[in-house]
Amino acid sequence: MNAPLLAIEGLNLRRGATHVLHDLTLDIRRGEIVALIGANGAGKSSTLQAISGLLRPLSGRIAFDGPDGAIDLTRLAPEAIVRAGVVHCPEGRQIFRSLTVRENLMMGAYPRTDRENLPAELDRVHELFPILAERAKLAAGSLSGGEQMMLAMGRSLLSKPVLLLLDEPSLGLAPQYIERIFDVIEQLRSQGATILLIEQNAAMALEIADRGYVLEHGRITLTGTGADLARNDEVRRAYLGDLG
Amino acid sequence: MSQYLFQQLVNGLSLGSLYALIAIGFSMIYGIVRLINFAHGDVVMVGAFASLAMVQAGVPWSMVAMLALVIGAAAGMTIEAAVFRPMRGASQVTGFIATLAVSVLIQNGALLLLSGQQRTFQFPAFMRQRVSLGGVSASMTDVAIIVLAVVLIAVLLFVVYRTRLGTAMRATSENLLAARLMGVPVNRTILAAFGMGSALAGIAGLMWGGKFGQIDPLMGAAPGLKAFIACVIGGVGSIGGALLGGYLLGMAEVLFVGLLPPEYASYRDTFVFLLLIVILLVKPSGLFMRHVEERA
Repeated sequence: MNAPLLAIEGLNLRRGATHVLHDLTLDIRRGEIVALIGANGAGKSSTLQAISGLLRPLSGRIAFDGPDGAIDLTRLAPEAIVRAGVVHCPEGRQIFRSLTVRENLMMGAYPRTDRENLPAELDRVHELFPILAERAKLAAGSLSGGEQMMLAMGRSLLSKPVLLLLDEPSLGLAPQYIERIFDVIEQLRSQGATILLIEQNAAMALEIADRGYVLEHGRITLTGTGADLARNDEVRRAYLGDLG
Repeated sequence: MSQYLFQQLVNGLSLGSLYALIAIGFSMIYGIVRLINFAHGDVVMVGAFASLAMVQAGVPWSMVAMLALVIGAAAGMTIEAAVFRPMRGASQVTGFIATLAVSVLIQNGALLLLSGQQRTFQFPAFMRQRVSLGGVSASMTDVAIIVLAVVLIAVLLFVVYRTRLGTAMRATSENLLAARLMGVPVNRTILAAFGMGSALAGIAGLMWGGKFGQIDPLMGAAPGLKAFIACVIGGVGSIGGALLGGYLLGMAEVLFVGLLPPEYASYRDTFVFLLLIVILLVKPSGLFMRHVEERA
């Protein structure tokens, strides 16, 4: 029996006075890339924030079947969720601008106890993003937007994710960086990573994703394989800019 | 160098050391919780009275200095855990009022317990000697304050800039949300910042008492205010700024007293505040800040 890595069931979430997620149910299996697409304000980021513990849901379960056995993430604080292996790479990169590039990467490794493995993994991140090795001693705020995104991803990788939550990795980036970021996502998948991806660039997200969910006003309205969704007429009209 | 100039330099450095030690804690606390902690000066008072009590109980001086650090840290951590933590996320005005309330509470609690009477605070005889070197001399107390401050500041800078805890503190100061997503236990990290900053205030209380010879329950107001000014001069929230602001303020005060005709000497604070206003007019973000800090 292959239980999903993450199973969200009947999740309801309020943000201030607004009810932003309604009975949200979705699951992610090991090794999958799952894309969550939807308009601005549909509840995509809120979903990720509920998974990583930044927002407390009103009701529902978020079952994570990680290395430490099955746990309900809705009961855990964000720092415990990171330690369990669910790593959230937030929207807008959120790097520490005044810290050096190296310090930012080491912050990713903050909660880890297996510190003897860090040098090798740091090398691996430097291989994925050579610019981070070149700029190791510079303040992270001096990097360009695309480099900052690489730093944010490298930092997340050093948290040793079992499940990686990526919130709008391509937002505001130049095309050559977007390609680079998606290359890395592909590469991570080939190494067995499991990823939940939010993207405003729905076409690219569905192309790379094994499966996708469409979120509208806090409700899942459609689900299917990435290819199926990319062919779906409604999805094409609403999210892929297809007028025909 | 003439004895007069040397004496002025030592006075300025010694006063500046005290301001810098207190200002660093102020700055660390502001940096991590974005609150001006008006009770920080009262931690100085707590450190001074705790030191006096220990001396009277016969605790050796080296031990008193260590314990002044510990007691200052304990006072600051208690304030954080009891007052600031429950109010986390409240508006800045609420936090501001709360720190004022804590300050009034500590001052009046101390008045109640200790009475408002001034107490004599005397360092042991060897600290009150003068040391001479190549034709100039200075009081042992001032030399000890300057040296001890340098050591403490070096230790603090090492912890903040070279250790995992310090990196987590800087990360939390800059972006609390991202720090939580990195698995940083933010409450413990904030507690550590209060502890470290307040430890310096605690031992500054001991040194303040020894330098000026008298302590009382309201003595925290002056160092608290001066440290706040030092932070504003240097750039609020920056440790380096607080450090330089503290020394600059100490030197400036001594300079005013030295340069002004004697009948103006008691107005030195007037000149200090004039200096502050001029600096704020010219460089509102502080002398040592490169830019006004961005907050996401």
